[in-house]
Amino acid sequence: MVDVKPLVMDNNKDHGLLGLAKHRAILVSPDSSLSDLLHEIWPKDVLEFTCYTQARGAVEDLFNDPPDLLIVDSRVEDVPAQELARLVKSENVYRQLPVIICLDDTDMQKPWDWNKVEVDDFLVRPFFLPVVRERVNLTLCRALRALDANPLSKLPGNTSIIQKIQTLIDRKQDFALAYCDLDYFKSFNDKYGFSRGDEVLMMSARIIVNTVRSFAGEQTFVGHVGGDDFVVITSPDIIEEVCQRIIFSFDGIVPNFYDMEDRQRKSIVSTDRQGNVQTFPLMAISIAVVFNLDGTMKHYGEASAIAMGLKKKAKEDPKSSYVLDRRYK
Amino acid sequence: MAGQDLKTSVKGQILSTSDLPTLPSVLDEVTKLVDDPNSSTEQVAKVISQDQVLSAKVLKMVNSPIYGFPGRITTIQHALVLLGLNVIRGIIISTSVFDMIQQAMSGLWEHSLGCAMASGAIAKAAGFEDPEEFTVAGLLHDLGKVVTAVQLPELNEAVRMTVQEKDITYYEAEKHILGFGHDRINAWLARHWHLPPNVREAMTYHHHPDRAQFYQQTAAVVHVGDFMVRLFEYGNGGDDQIAYFKPAAMKILKLKMKDLEPVMDEVSDKFMEISDLTF
Repeated sequence: MVDVKPLVMDNNKDHGLLGLAKHRAILVSPDSSLSDLLHEIWPKDVLEFTCYTQARGAVEDLFNDPPDLLIVDSRVEDVPAQELARLVKSENVYRQLPVIICLDDTDMQKPWDWNKVEVDDFLVRPFFLPVVRERVNLTLCRALRALDANPLSKLPGNTSIIQKIQTLIDRKQDFALAYCDLDYFKSFNDKYGFSRGDEVLMMSARIIVNTVRSFAGEQTFVGHVGGDDFVVITSPDIIEEVCQRIIFSFDGIVPNFYDMEDRQRKSIVSTDRQGNVQTFPLMAISIAVVFNLDGTMKHYGEASAIAMGLKKKAKEDPKSSYVLDRRYK
Repeated sequence: MAGQDLKTSVKGQILSTSDLPTLPSVLDEVTKLVDDPNSSTEQVAKVISQDQVLSAKVLKMVNSPIYGFPGRITTIQHALVLLGLNVIRGIIISTSVFDMIQQAMSGLWEHSLGCAMASGAIAKAAGFEDPEEFTVAGLLHDLGKVVTAVQLPELNEAVRMTVQEKDITYYEAEKHILGFGHDRINAWLARHWHLPPNVREAMTYHHHPDRAQFYQQTAAVVHVGDFMVRLFEYGNGGDDQIAYFKPAAMKILKLKMKDLEPVMDEVSDKFMEISDLTF
């Protein structure tokens, strides 16, 4: 399971974060007034800073225990700040770590090449508390968004999905959670190739998003777990109609993605590695829905565990279908 | 050489079309619908399906590579589900209306809508699945004429004059003035906009359905639909000539003339119904 650290904004707090989870940042700067300022803004249990006055020591910490944010000052003397940023950004395992560079006026006389210095944001002296606060919060937020978005559909991914579910559970808010996946997607992919498969995923994402959105005034969320798995979170009152409409649209549109022959035959014929000829129906969509009513759920894991069981049931039907979890009703 | 130069410059002008205007009546109706939060996509789709320019814009957008499935979507209903009312609202807001030449255009709008209806009815009679796909092909079969009128008003005027002076069909006059017809212009547009192959071939080959590569049936349905709407003198395709008819189309559709009789009755009733729909 992905390491989940929800980052939720809360503008009632002085530091702007809800603080569901503790985030860790590394500061590399010889400027003690900067570290004082950062400590002043965020309490330790929300955003904890480990401060280094020089790069030595910081690098090892950084690599062994990557923080959620790196702030590096151009006044660092042993290793240039750009070099430190490059070190982080050139390794694929650390690349997603957001980096903010702190500059002096004199650093700003010439334009920077941000393709070479792959930082995420910068701060310029003199530092103003509100600006530092918002820059850092925004950088954290943006990094999570960018990291988590599905590269194909650009919908929020696993981390955001789990965060969303856990937030609703913690608030004891009623919701319905629908897991959607495609039947016979693999056989389609095998026959037509990945790029045709991606077309179908993009189409499915659009159908789900627009169907959910067409219910005016409802709070909704759509995420892309990956592959052919999507998640919808919405109010329990409308979920059944959402399922019906998604299925109706999907079943109407999906034949367009097959070649004329298969479309007319309403099935695809392919040969497996053993040379056996197999026939598969056109793709269908299966939806499993779980409910959180009256705060019965404590952890997102409960939701996904129940949903996985239901999904098997929905999958038994080769046609598009949805199954609602009735245990709370 | 001169012909080739004209063709290249015309093609450039045609494909640079960025903002096709439409007639105000349908636009007003759609605007009202999309502004109402209670409207359903079905309602909006039904109205957009009556207007060739709005339909073309919607299909161009949903089939653009940005959405990730170019050339896949044929019907307006499907396009609306995939685009969402938000994007549709954007398209509607950015669409302008014809001002001066409105009268000349309304005949072509009726002709296209009539051809759409006839094509749907013929497809049903021929036993084809998804008649909506044939309806769309019928609706867009003369889109090239609209784009020419907007992008190349002088050439369009020359074609119109030639129709009157020589008493020939619009298609013949186009070939006389431009060296090619609106079917060629349709082909450029359909390809440039990534429209699905069935719609593209019907737009390209509705005058010669037997020349279509993969979708002769769609082209043949639209050919017969075009003939039928001219026969009923519903709307105006740009000339008053007697409709021409390719017997090859009936062969492709495996229909006999007498099979068309019930279709004619149905279409005639439909034309009566919509005759009060003025553009």
